[in-house]
Amino acid sequence: MRIAVEQWMEQPLLRFIDDSRVRLVLLLESSGRVLAQHGFTRSIDVMSACALAAAIHATGSEIGRQLDGSPFTTMHHPGNQQQIFLGELPTARGAHILLTVFDDTTSIGLVRLYFKELGARLAAATPSAAIASVAPGLVDFESDLNRNLAKLFGRI
Amino acid sequence: MNKTPYAELLSMLSRHRGVVGSFVVSERDGLSIDSNVQIGVQADAVAALAASLHRKARLACGAAGCGTVTFLRLDAERGGICAAGRDDLVLVTISEARANIGLLRVEMMRAARALT
Repeated sequence: MRIAVEQWMEQPLLRFIDDSRVRLVLLLESSGRVLAQHGFTRSIDVMSACALAAAIHATGSEIGRQLDGSPFTTMHHPGNQQQIFLGELPTARGAHILLTVFDDTTSIGLVRLYFKELGARLAAATPSAAIASVAPGLVDFESDLNRNLAKLFGRI
Repeated sequence: MNKTPYAELLSMLSRHRGVVGSFVVSERDGLSIDSNVQIGVQADAVAALAASLHRKARLACGAAGCGTVTFLRLDAERGGICAAGRDDLVLVTISEARANIGLLRVEMMRAARALT
């Protein structure tokens, strides 16, 4: 099963997943449109997680701007059994968001380390004819989202 | 920046011949609590990876029935990494090949017993 909507993202993401030993990964645009996923079994969960991640990222960025003058770009929440890490990845196509869930087979230190490497690998792998990402309209967004989910879950 | 309680300990370890860096890291998080490293050492990366190594060694020793890990030493071509832990805290040093590992081991194990 493919993990990314676009081929060039697959290898960097697979490397990140193998190195960091995380359980769930979601790569999305800041609009909430999914670009890649790993570990999810249902598309509805991916949609929910994307929406929440985009909202958390937007909120965190704004809090950072108000408190610190610059947006917060990463967030980590350690739960009892599992932890989540959310980070912004600047790309030639605009900022993407990585959401990952992990447990005690790895650590936040390792996740942050490999997150940095992922950023560098994605930047290096971005096709040279990068098209600037245009914020989709409401109608386009829904059809793009559904198409991306269908690609990720092997329906097309 | 405020000094942590480990600053003096790390400074003492880093003064050993051949030691290029020393850290106190959290084994669970893989984050460095305090460090004393020379320029060029990737402190965050070493902290995360060394903590992971210590954790796996601890689990392996537990599964093997050997008890707790008291000292971990990784030898490489141009030096090595040593680690000694207590509870969630791990004392890590990076050293060149010329370091006196025997002396470093004694000092690290003594220091690790006092980690809180």
